[in-house]
Amino acid sequence: MTKTLDLLDIQGHVIRAYGRFGYPVARYVFLNIADGAKGRAFVGSVTNKVTTAVNWGSGPGEIAQPAWTVNMAFSYQGLKELDLPRASLIGFSPEFVEGMKARRDILGDDGPSAPAHWDPIWRENRETRDKDVHIFIALNARLPALLEESYAWLKGKIEEYQGGVVLLGGHLGDDSAIMDYQDVKVLVEKGVPVAKEHFGYTDGIGDPVFEGVPYDADRVNGRGKQVEGGKWAALATGEFLLGHIDEAKEYPPAPNPILLSRNGTYMVYRKLHENVATFDSYLEEHGKNFPGGKELLAAKFVGRWRDNGAPLVKAPDQASKEKFDTLLDAVDDKGKDKLLCDFTYDDDMSGAKCPFSSHIRRINPRASLEFTRDPTDVPGSLKIKQDAFDTPGALTNRRRLLRRGLPYGAVRDRSRDDGNHGIIIMMLNADINRQFEFVQQQWINYGNDFKAANDKEIILGNHSTDPKFPSKAVIQVDPNSDQPPYFLSKIPRLVETRGGEYFFIPSMTALRMIARGIVDPT
Amino acid sequence: MDNVNGNAYALTILSPIKNGFIQAEEIAYADKVRDLLQGWNMLPNSPMTRVPQTYLCRYFVLDDVYTESLPGAGALDTFSDLLPYIPDFVRRGALPKGDHLKSKYLVFSCNFHGGPSGDVDAYLRGMWNAISDRIKEVWGYCYGFEQVNDAASFARYMKKCQLTASLFFVGSNDEPLEEQLKALYLKQELAKFAVANQGLSATVLRANYRDFIKRVAPANPSAPTWTAGMYRL
Repeated sequence: MTKTLDLLDIQGHVIRAYGRFGYPVARYVFLNIADGAKGRAFVGSVTNKVTTAVNWGSGPGEIAQPAWTVNMAFSYQGLKELDLPRASLIGFSPEFVEGMKARRDILGDDGPSAPAHWDPIWRENRETRDKDVHIFIALNARLPALLEESYAWLKGKIEEYQGGVVLLGGHLGDDSAIMDYQDVKVLVEKGVPVAKEHFGYTDGIGDPVFEGVPYDADRVNGRGKQVEGGKWAALATGEFLLGHIDEAKEYPPAPNPILLSRNGTYMVYRKLHENVATFDSYLEEHGKNFPGGKELLAAKFVGRWRDNGAPLVKAPDQASKEKFDTLLDAVDDKGKDKLLCDFTYDDDMSGAKCPFSSHIRRINPRASLEFTRDPTDVPGSLKIKQDAFDTPGALTNRRRLLRRGLPYGAVRDRSRDDGNHGIIIMMLNADINRQFEFVQQQWINYGNDFKAANDKEIILGNHSTDPKFPSKAVIQVDPNSDQPPYFLSKIPRLVETRGGEYFFIPSMTALRMIARGIVDPT
Repeated sequence: MDNVNGNAYALTILSPIKNGFIQAEEIAYADKVRDLLQGWNMLPNSPMTRVPQTYLCRYFVLDDVYTESLPGAGALDTFSDLLPYIPDFVRRGALPKGDHLKSKYLVFSCNFHGGPSGDVDAYLRGMWNAISDRIKEVWGYCYGFEQVNDAASFARYMKKCQLTASLFFVGSNDEPLEEQLKALYLKQELAKFAVANQGLSATVLRANYRDFIKRVAPANPSAPTWTAGMYRL
């Protein structure tokens, strides 16, 4: 019998990127627990309203799609304040216990990304007990007015449990205003909502697909794991949900009792500021010299064209892009999805189309890490290393991340970096260290696995313009051509961390148990 | 039968829970059953304390089978160790597929005093008569339970769901529940008596002991004694 997940036991936020399901606005609210017993009562009350991952329908006996959604997660400090037994607390992973701020060296949150430059809420987190971030609540809504309705509801709950939980403000908003919450929304271009971020890239295309999610069954190609013969299969559930078998055919490490961890997962919350002026001027400067022009160079940074997300592997130059666009316009949504996502790097092992340091190749290398070079091959020529591992995706399958979140703020003046604009990214995985931290440390801020020495990922890397250690990246070319590779020199810091924390998203069962105070690891 | 040991009976029930949900509460039946059972933790004592002759019992919802490890590929697995020319993909292809349960189960595991004949019917009827409301709440989401409307049909239903496994809890002897509770009571009271009377003269000790025996009435199992479900002093 095939695996079916208990969608009613899993929080909706885990399975659904709400933006894709018709929720263009969201608000993230963070709370401090002042009193354990009252805090648990608050958790119980909110749990009754928490949105599950159930398959929505409008027929009789079905659960209708809500106007706004509620989801909840806890930091380690939060779980402690909710009086989880010590024997359960010790089962959480060390990096979750430490929190994001303590992991800054591993994450490369240095220079302008260092905690000293974070928003007040994140700067003050984990310094004094009364400023610790304990509870994360995400409200997603179908319309701005509905978001306000959901926030009024939440404020009412906080009021009702006064003395139990305290709203933590300290999010930087427009004109350096200090906000009580973090607002995010889909960007709008010429009056139309678009899946883009402030640099202009189409975002959120390649989210992983794993076993047991019925509404993702036809989205496996390009999103699951690459298997033999260029085929695809859904990733093992245990890569993203605790209490399920993972790609190593084991249960991921998780706290006891099993009911506390099963169908739950870890979430990495990060606020990333985008330096739009620096990005624009850097792109402009190099776009002048880059063969193929500015837009192709912008595409080389990410691996997808900015306007519609066309992958460079399928549309490596202007001429092929035009053909791709014609194809894309001609097909339905399913066909579009296939065109945008269903590809491999098997015919681009030397990175001539999609550079090794581009965003999508670094975040999800598919089967491209099992590559090698024969001494007799021309320089820069790499090819698939056959049968190096059990499966072509062996080096990638355990490093995948579910990505949630939306852009925040608006760019009012593209000539300045210091506006309120960036993205809130939430990455969900069963093992923060093995998945998120590894990708961040080894694939974003380092390049060795891609045979790219210490070149960082172009967009997200913690680049330094220090004249002693300037950041660079190589845009590869066909090794058999006469073209030289293009060197991106002195890459500035395009994205800066403005805060974040590690959270645990419990299942519905675990939420109810935490609220009742009956988590029993014995 | 393996599930009878002396006077103790090991009752194991697996009732399949329906694959549905309660629309208004957005909760699956299996999760609701678990929620109801967990709610018993918030009561002063478990409803099962009202069921006569219950030694110990446990309820849980079985979500799925637990995978211990990757299963072997049988004989081929062994041969591939000895004969390296069997390609790995052949061996992997022969691996059994992962198995999952078709539904979730309400598992009720209970040890009770059933006498030498192992009278499960009498116990189940006693259970129905004591806590039929709770039973209906919890088992109401299980397949086939709609046929249950009285003690006799409950006993019939439970026996259909029975697995005759010898899952005994350690910690009970063979006696009827009343005897066991009385024995525990006497043990505790005697310990208290010993502490309170340490170092007294033989005369005073004898007098106090007489009063003690009169008070605790060892020959009377019904009073004074521990109540069912009592697990701390």
